[in-house]
Amino acid sequence: MATPPATQTPSMTPAEMQILVSRTGLVLNPGQVADLVLAWRQIAGLIGAMPRGRPMGDDMALSFRLAPPAPPPAAPKRVAKPKPKAAAKPKAAAKRVPLRRAAPRR
Amino acid sequence: MKEPVRPFLTIAEAGRLIAAKKLSPVELTRALLKRIEVVDPKISAFLLVTNQRAMTAARAAEKAVMAGQKGRLLGIPLAYKDIFETAGVRTTAHSRILLDNVPKQDAETVRRLHAAGAVMLGKLATHEFAIGGPATDLPWPPARNPWDTRRFTGGSSSGSGAAVAAGLALGALGSDTGGSIRLPAAYCGIAGFKPTPGLVSRRGVIPLAPSLDTAGPMAWTAQDCAILLDVLAGHDPADPASVAVPLPGYAKAIEAPLKGMRVGVLRRFYEHDVPATPEMLKMMAQAAATLKALGCRVEEAVLPPVQDFNAVGRIIISAEAYALHEATLHARLSEYSRVFRIRVLAGGLIRAADYITAQRRRSELIAAAGTVFGKFDVLISAPTAGAAPLLAEQRPDEGFAQPFLTTVANVAALPSLVVCGGFTATGLPLGLEIMGPAWGDAAVLRVGHQFEVAAGLRGRRPEV
Repeated sequence: MATPPATQTPSMTPAEMQILVSRTGLVLNPGQVADLVLAWRQIAGLIGAMPRGRPMGDDMALSFRLAPPAPPPAAPKRVAKPKPKAAAKPKAAAKRVPLRRAAPRR
Repeated sequence: MKEPVRPFLTIAEAGRLIAAKKLSPVELTRALLKRIEVVDPKISAFLLVTNQRAMTAARAAEKAVMAGQKGRLLGIPLAYKDIFETAGVRTTAHSRILLDNVPKQDAETVRRLHAAGAVMLGKLATHEFAIGGPATDLPWPPARNPWDTRRFTGGSSSGSGAAVAAGLALGALGSDTGGSIRLPAAYCGIAGFKPTPGLVSRRGVIPLAPSLDTAGPMAWTAQDCAILLDVLAGHDPADPASVAVPLPGYAKAIEAPLKGMRVGVLRRFYEHDVPATPEMLKMMAQAAATLKALGCRVEEAVLPPVQDFNAVGRIIISAEAYALHEATLHARLSEYSRVFRIRVLAGGLIRAADYITAQRRRSELIAAAGTVFGKFDVLISAPTAGAAPLLAEQRPDEGFAQPFLTTVANVAALPSLVVCGGFTATGLPLGLEIMGPAWGDAAVLRVGHQFEVAAGLRGRRPEV
């Protein structure tokens, strides 16, 4: 499978980082901002490494659903010997539905 | 119930003895609770030991056995990673955030195990919310590796790996989003199985990144994982990812010999992408030779680089984890561990376009893996570059700077098993990873089981 080229994610200035952090609504102390810068550099590297430029119509659903496994191949069917016809039974008499007795009036 | 309790029983062995009325579930549970009391202070695998509940469940199991009831998990003592919800028992995700969280309902996996007669010993350590660890700024210490307590267990199912390896529980539940079942399995020398997504319900498992999360069994052997999977697998309409598939009977399926099976070796993964230690390289060569001797056709297989899978996995995990925790991060930021904050906060800066690009790339990687399985029945690789590192050497940005080999199976939606493949000269375990096509769970477990039997490594236990 041909892999489309990766694009470079531009590095982020401290001011840009501050804007992004403010968008998240988080209030971070300087130590936490320093940790975030460290982590973001790693994530930005991963984002930059992802190939892009796929055709727009490709994989529009952005999701997948695994199909269930194929059922095992069916065993060859045995040809059943025709059973000798049993003598026709007389039709059962229609079931009698007992009449409901009217509830005694009180 | 005649025999004294032997330490380090497997689930298969204990099940046979219990069914034959030679081993008492009550005595087995009592012996393990005693062992936890003595050994756990050295390895910190348990966050909570549920003594009374365990004894009550064991008595009920014993009564059922004496009444003639059968079942391979009847009276088997297990423990659960503390992200699996347990009715009436605190479930913390190893976090201050959930210190007072007492669920009303069992996770579906826990419900199934209890319905099969398993005995819960307690709740196990994890990385905070299955990502933030090992951390030393939480109410509990991180778990330690029973083979060398200065060393890392792997994570995030850290307590599950440590407890099973140390013989504190016969099996455990773990969850796996980027390798969290299989990394502790590799470093602790046990078997850990990440099933095909949709095979095992995640209802009641505190999520990390729902599009990659899976739940699965951890135990001493692949056979024990298969026995657990026979109970855990099955459709659950309450998990939207759950799929109704025919279940083959895993414990039975693994007994079939491997003759003619096509095994692909992902050599480039551990020779080039994440270069392995010489001992790991030697172990991988031996594992390939063992599979050949079992009648497998072993050839090299190629997938896209590990870095491609890792980038996709990390971006999805960070973005989804941030989204799940956003409201709590705003309200209680300082209560999370520093490691959690480093691994998750950056997820709040990921643009929607980049997250969607990651999901699209994932589809490509799933397709690439599917193509390879046209030629092979299973793939093998090293799950880590080497043996367990020192706990003190763990970096908070682990997984970003150095890719995880295990993330391949999460991103490609493959079932994957890690078994013990060998030992270093200093006696630390080395893992072997076996991956199969989607729904090829039985084949993966079968290769793992037959390999374990042929390699003969399961007699060696840590001296802790």
